[in-house]
Amino acid sequence: MSNSIHTTGDLAVSVQHLGLTYTTTIDRRPTLKSRLKSMGRGTKQTRVVRALDDVMLDVHYGSVLGVVGSNGAGKSTLMRVISGILPPSQGKVEVFGKVSTLLALGVGFSPSLSGRENVQLGGLAAGMTRREIEDHFDEIAEFAELGDAIDAPMRTYSSGMYARLAFSVAVTVKPDILIVDEALSTGDAKFKEKSLNKIKELRSDSRALILVSHALGTITDICNEVVWLDKGKLIQRGNPDEVVDAYAKFLHVGKSAAINEDV
Amino acid sequence: MASEVYEPFRKGLPPLRKYWRTLWNRRAFIAEYSRSELHEQHFDSVFGQVWLILNPLLLSGVYFVLIVIIGGHSDTTRYGHLTACLFLFYLVANTLQGGVKSVTAGQRLILNTAFPRIMLPISATVVAIFKFIPTLLIFAILRTVLGLPVGWQMLWAVPIILITVIFSLGAAMLISCINVYFRDIANFLPYFTRTLLYLSPILWEASAIKPQLRKIELVNPLFSILDSWSRAVVHAQQPHGSALVIAAAWALGIFLLGTYFFLSREREFAVRV
Repeated sequence: MSNSIHTTGDLAVSVQHLGLTYTTTIDRRPTLKSRLKSMGRGTKQTRVVRALDDVMLDVHYGSVLGVVGSNGAGKSTLMRVISGILPPSQGKVEVFGKVSTLLALGVGFSPSLSGRENVQLGGLAAGMTRREIEDHFDEIAEFAELGDAIDAPMRTYSSGMYARLAFSVAVTVKPDILIVDEALSTGDAKFKEKSLNKIKELRSDSRALILVSHALGTITDICNEVVWLDKGKLIQRGNPDEVVDAYAKFLHVGKSAAINEDV
Repeated sequence: MASEVYEPFRKGLPPLRKYWRTLWNRRAFIAEYSRSELHEQHFDSVFGQVWLILNPLLLSGVYFVLIVIIGGHSDTTRYGHLTACLFLFYLVANTLQGGVKSVTAGQRLILNTAFPRIMLPISATVVAIFKFIPTLLIFAILRTVLGLPVGWQMLWAVPIILITVIFSLGAAMLISCINVYFRDIANFLPYFTRTLLYLSPILWEASAIKPQLRKIELVNPLFSILDSWSRAVVHAQQPHGSALVIAAAWALGIFLLGTYFFLSREREFAVRV
C-alpha cells in the first residue's frame, strides 16, 4: 500500500473513451427450471445494457469530483470500473494510487460473521496485509461508534450501523483515492456531519475524492468540479454551480429543498 | 508511483500473469476465509470434529450392513474399502457442496471489492481439505484395528489425494460459475453427488464389475481415482498405471476447463450476482 503524499494537481484517475456494455438476466434469480420451462416460447432471457458510452474524465489530486445523474445513469458502474471491479469493454482507465471504495452496498462479506471478521476479510480481499488491518482496526471501530456490536454478527446490525462501519473502513485505511457512492445517506444526522467533516479533512490532505450523490447541496458545498452523467454519456463537466444548475433544470425540479437535503 | 491500468480483456480473459500475482498476494484471505468458515460451521470445536468423523463412519456402517444383507457375506477388507473410499468421496462432495454457492454467496464482496474471484472456490476447496484431514487419521486407526496389509505402496495415497484435490477444485470452479447463471444448480447437486456415489466403486469394488459395465470406468472421473485409492490404502498394492494416468488426465482436464470457464466468465459476476 502506498501512502505517499501526492502533489496537488497530479493526475489521480484518467478515464479515456470508456465504454461498458454488459449482458444481464431479466430474471432476478435465473434458474435452470425456469429456462427449461420457457424453452421454445422464444422469450428473451437476457438484455444488453450499454452502461457507459465514450466517457472521458480526469481526476486530479487535491480535488473533489462530484458525480450527478438520474438513477441508472451509469454513476455506480463508472465507480466500479475505476475501482477495478468491472473491466471496461472499450477504452482505458488509468489509476495512479491506491483506491478505497465505499460503494452503495458498503462493507460486508457474510452477515453471519461479526463486524470485526467482516472488516478483516474485506481488507484481506482488497489486498491489505493482516498487519495493516490490525494497525487500523481500533481507529475504524472507534470512528464507527459501534461499541461492543463490533463483535456481534452483522445480521444484527441496522442499516445505519452497516453504513457507519463501511464509511469508517473506507476513510481510515488512508486511501490515495477515495470513492464515496451514496453511502452517507443512511447514517443519522450526527454521523452524517461527522462523515462530512471527515471528507473535508481528507480533501485538504492532497488526496483525490470522487463523490456520487443525489444531494446537490452537498455536491456544490464540497466539490471543485462536477460531472453530469445521463444514460451512460457524459453530458456536462465543469464548475459545480453551473453543472448542478443545468442538472436541476433538466430534472424540472429547480432548486428545491428536496435536493439540497441529505448526503 | 503505483499505477493500475484497466483495459478491455483480450479473448475474454484477464491478463493472466497479473492475475496470478494478485492471487498469490491474497493467500492470507484464503486462509482467513477458510478458518472463519470452519468456525461458522463449528468444526473448530471438539463436537464439530467428532461429528465430522462420525458422519462418514456411521454412513459406512449403514452401507456395510446393506452390503451384508444384499450380498449375503462380507469381510474386513470390504469394510476397509468402503470406509476409505467414502472418506475420499466426501472430500470431493464437500468441495462441490461448499463450492457451488461460493460465488453467489460472495455477492457483497464481489460488488464492492476488486479481487481475483477465483479465491472463492479455492477457499471452499481448502475448507473441504481441512474436513478431510481428520478422517485420514481415523482411517489409519481403523485399518490397524481391521488388520489390513501394510506396505510402502500405501505412499501412492499422496499423489492420489493431490489428483483428487485438483479434480475437485476444477469441478468447484465449474459449478460455482454455472450456479451464477442457474441458481437452482445448488438444489440439483445432492442428486448429482448421490448418483456419483452409486456409480463409483465405493459400495462395490472395481474388480467386481461386469464386463458390460466397464464403460463406467471411462465416463466416471472418480472411478480410476477411487480404484487406485483403494488399491493403495486398503490393499497396500501398487495402483494400475493406466488407472493413474486416466485419473490424472481427468483431474487436469477438469481443472483446465474449470479455470478457463471461470476466468472467462468472471468479468460478468459483478453484473450477474
